[in-house]
Amino acid sequence: MTPRERLGQVLVYLALAVAILLALFPFWWMVDTSLKRPVDIFSGVALWPQQITLDNYRRLITDYHFGYFLLNSLIVVAAAVTVSLVLGTLAAYALARFQLRFGVRKMALYLVLFVRMLPGIMLCVPLYIVLAQWGLLNTRLGLILIYAGLNTSFVVWMMQSFLEEIPRDIEEAAMVDGDSRLAALWRIVMPLAAPGLIATSIFSVITTYNDFIIALTLTSTPAAQTIPVGVSTLIGKIEIQWGPMAAAGVVGALPIVIFALVVQRNFVRGLTLGAVK
Amino acid sequence: MALAVDIVAERESRGRQRRAAAVPYLLLLPAVLALAAVSLYPALDGINASLHRFRYGLDKGFAGLDNYAVVFADPLFWQAIATTAMFVVIVVAIETLLGLLLALLVARELYFAGPIRVMLILPMTIAPVVVGVIWRLLYASDIGIVDPLFQALGMGAPHVLAHPTSAFLGIVAVDVWEWTPLLFLIILAGLQSMPQDPMEAARVDGASRLQIFFHHTLPLLRPVLLVAIVLRTIDAVGTFDQIFVLTKGGPGTATQLISIYAYNTAFLFNQYGRAMAMLIGVLAFLIVLMTAAVRLMRRTSEKIE
Repeated sequence: MTPRERLGQVLVYLALAVAILLALFPFWWMVDTSLKRPVDIFSGVALWPQQITLDNYRRLITDYHFGYFLLNSLIVVAAAVTVSLVLGTLAAYALARFQLRFGVRKMALYLVLFVRMLPGIMLCVPLYIVLAQWGLLNTRLGLILIYAGLNTSFVVWMMQSFLEEIPRDIEEAAMVDGDSRLAALWRIVMPLAAPGLIATSIFSVITTYNDFIIALTLTSTPAAQTIPVGVSTLIGKIEIQWGPMAAAGVVGALPIVIFALVVQRNFVRGLTLGAVK
Repeated sequence: MALAVDIVAERESRGRQRRAAAVPYLLLLPAVLALAAVSLYPALDGINASLHRFRYGLDKGFAGLDNYAVVFADPLFWQAIATTAMFVVIVVAIETLLGLLLALLVARELYFAGPIRVMLILPMTIAPVVVGVIWRLLYASDIGIVDPLFQALGMGAPHVLAHPTSAFLGIVAVDVWEWTPLLFLIILAGLQSMPQDPMEAARVDGASRLQIFFHHTLPLLRPVLLVAIVLRTIDAVGTFDQIFVLTKGGPGTATQLISIYAYNTAFLFNQYGRAMAMLIGVLAFLIVLMTAAVRLMRRTSEKIE
């Protein structure tokens, strides 16, 4: 390596170090604030808590209903993601394996993309009116139905590309041996598609868990409000409680950050939504 | 590939064949119904609402195109559109440039390539609401760090969210922090799936790095870049959560994007019809973008295949 190349190498790592610092420091500031006592929060810049306290986290549960928010998020995300995985995988299988007539394939894919790209704000007003008619405002069931529908688009899109990569010969052999199509799908194809299914579920969990505007407009009390809405309720107050707000942010971010670290590899694919194969 | 299917099909009786032909449509049906229920149905319902007059949140009957006329004559609507357009153009431009730069830095032999990538994309994975909280904490004039940082550099404390211009730049910075990783990821994937031979050949011929980049890498990257830009633009138009947490559109109307204005119109002033009239206008624009996105995506995947 010539000295010039070595210098270039050093500069690359330096630039990346700066980028990583910019990406991560804001997270640390939130964690830092969440662990401080109120007096310390206001006592000037300190990059490390003077005295670590979990009081802000305790107050989330005792004063700010975060137990309910967590429970709601858990139930809504689990139910909605499960339903959408079933519906979406079946549809993806149909798209990946069959010659569909009457332009059905194209229409289905357009519908999928349409749902995926529709900004949440566009859905809120009509969904609010519809749920009000059905008496489903401020219920977990209402949120589950909507998230399941929305997330189905993501599952179809992802699973279709995963299923296409699995060679057809294998399941066809199983069908020649007497399996029905669904049996072949369940017994042969799904085990092979497992990594794709896992990646898809993880992203489904992330996007559903992270959603704010739909839950914000369609729920109004801790009986159905999810974590992101819970986080925002700490801001509406006249005097902002910085400590609990920071703690709420940490609670909101933590599950997703852990996910991201655990499933690095399959991450890219879901995040770029098949824009690049 | 279709051969094996044919053999299987031939063994089946006619009736079974016909039933088998229905299978894919039956598999597709539940998903299509679910998708239509959360997109087409609300869209039609929204169009319907946009043609009705609402008072105190109650439907007061058909109103023709009145809502559209009101929206069209509303200076705040046009201001929100202008703010949104400016926001989208600025953030997408910065994010594309930074994303490209980062991708070029990472698309090489690196130590710790995996962890580096994950750390860089962390901002885009967390809930936008939490992004709002994080920056609220950074910008806060009493407990934040941005003001002290400026003071340490010998400048005055900017109180970012308190003044119109700085608040707008403040939300631009937040969006850049959150979404540059997406552009970075897509561009990186594009770089890594690119044939290396033309660049190698050019290097042998003695072309400089910049020449190689502009003559070979960039043209090959163009389709991926376009897809990334269109996708990001569509998302940016709907930006809501972070603004809601940070400024609620203020101070004044400095950061009032169309999503915030439509939200206020619907849920603060209970003017559902008027809000839908606004959103349908925006939707029409987005559909054009979406169609472009689909076309581009199809062309990209054809090229890569």
